[in-house]
Amino acid sequence: MKKQNLTRTMNPYVKFFIDYSVPIIIALLVAFAIPLSGLSGKYFIKELTIRLSRNSFLILALLIPVMAGMGMNFGIVLGAMAGEIGLIFVTDWLIVGLPGMLLAMLISTPIAILLGYFAGIVLNRAKGREMVTGFMLGFFMNGIYQLVVLYGMGNIIPISNSNILLPRGYGIRNAISLIGIRQVMDKFIPLKIGGILIPIGTLLVIATLCVFIVWFKKTKLGQDMRTVGQDNDIARASGINVEKTRILSIVISTVLACYGQIIFLQNIGTMNTYNSHEQVGVFAIAALLVGGASVAKASIFNVFVGVILFHTMFVVSPRAGKELIGQAQLGEYFRVFVSYGVIAFSLALYAWRKRVEKENERRKVMAFKRVLLQNNNTTGGDKL
Amino acid sequence: MRKRIIIRITLIVVLILIGISLYTIGKEHKVLIDNKGISIGGITYNADTTYKVWVDNLEIGLLEKGERNVAKVAGTSHKIVIEETKDKVLTGEKHEKRFKLKTNEGATINIPAIVNNANEWINKKYIGGE
Repeated sequence: MKKQNLTRTMNPYVKFFIDYSVPIIIALLVAFAIPLSGLSGKYFIKELTIRLSRNSFLILALLIPVMAGMGMNFGIVLGAMAGEIGLIFVTDWLIVGLPGMLLAMLISTPIAILLGYFAGIVLNRAKGREMVTGFMLGFFMNGIYQLVVLYGMGNIIPISNSNILLPRGYGIRNAISLIGIRQVMDKFIPLKIGGILIPIGTLLVIATLCVFIVWFKKTKLGQDMRTVGQDNDIARASGINVEKTRILSIVISTVLACYGQIIFLQNIGTMNTYNSHEQVGVFAIAALLVGGASVAKASIFNVFVGVILFHTMFVVSPRAGKELIGQAQLGEYFRVFVSYGVIAFSLALYAWRKRVEKENERRKVMAFKRVLLQNNNTTGGDKL
Repeated sequence: MRKRIIIRITLIVVLILIGISLYTIGKEHKVLIDNKGISIGGITYNADTTYKVWVDNLEIGLLEKGERNVAKVAGTSHKIVIEETKDKVLTGEKHEKRFKLKTNEGATINIPAIVNNANEWINKKYIGGE
């Protein structure tokens, strides 16, 4: 009863706090940790610029499935795997520079489309449980990826570069140096302001993706996705092929995630063959949720707020941990704890809000029925 | 329906062509640069001084006599520039050569041969896989 009163008479400030509780809490944490960390402003801006350019594309890849009502796409891990396969091939063939990166994108696109299509079919069979299914799909596909990369490459798939092959003659080494394509996109248009490298090339690509998403929302397919996201039955009644639209949203997201992972790895310059993709989904989703998005609603604004807040926490928390108790490890634990905690909190908040909305809806219907009944009693009763 | 198939096939062909051109432009080649004596057609060219070397406008460094260095270049068309140095000071005597490499080719370039305008200053060889 108390809960009902809380939501019914919710004043706008309380509602704002509940809606944006995650970004507010993280912003407070960050505001507390920044002075504790003792990091210089220049270092902080440099780190944040790098992380903004490195991660934004991957997080933007999450927006389209949210639009189609499929929640946070944990299946972006599949796209990341496709991107890594493309990078393995260009490293094997010794293709360097921007052409190498673009070729990796070209090679991995059909793989990402195929994986996205497969994921879309599976998720269509698990309506309402897309997120957990996507999460499991990531684990399942990781097994297949490992089988292909560890046993198939060098055996069935020809790999000739001994620098990336395991000494036994097949299977890819644990770490691959991407020195040939390291930061090629970041340094494509070189610009330094105050000694800080501004990755104009990557930022332009991210801006282009933002424009694409805004444009896509206005297209027929974009509108269809929004309709599907609001109500499957209404969308179906309007003649929209719901299943196909949902599959398309996952395919687009997977392909974008594939490009996002290539952009991410070109910035780092090393690829951890068997682990690079594992945490991609969790960290991207956590960043988006930190930005104030929910499972049902996410925008470009949420992406950038999320990247800034989440990665500020990544930068400052190890140093803050060290200053607080003398151990940087605390900061490491803290940020992993926050990543998973934010996801759990957001999901719980979403579920709670849904439940309250349903309850309010039910009460409204009941009240309406009561009024109807009373009217019947007063008017119809006389007739009887 | 037929139009759609044609468009799709065209798109695939275009993508494959883009892939091939990216492969050609981005393929890395190893170019070995020798400042060593060499015998070509019975004539011996000796290395007698130090040279500063640039490949595709990228500085490779100083090569003393008897030394070898490696340059990694991408693409098919390349340019090598060498300049004589005496007591680590550039003399201004420059030699420039242009060369082309196929996708699976590497090369060995000999500086004394370039300086003496010998025809066989470059030795290209096929490198399948590393």
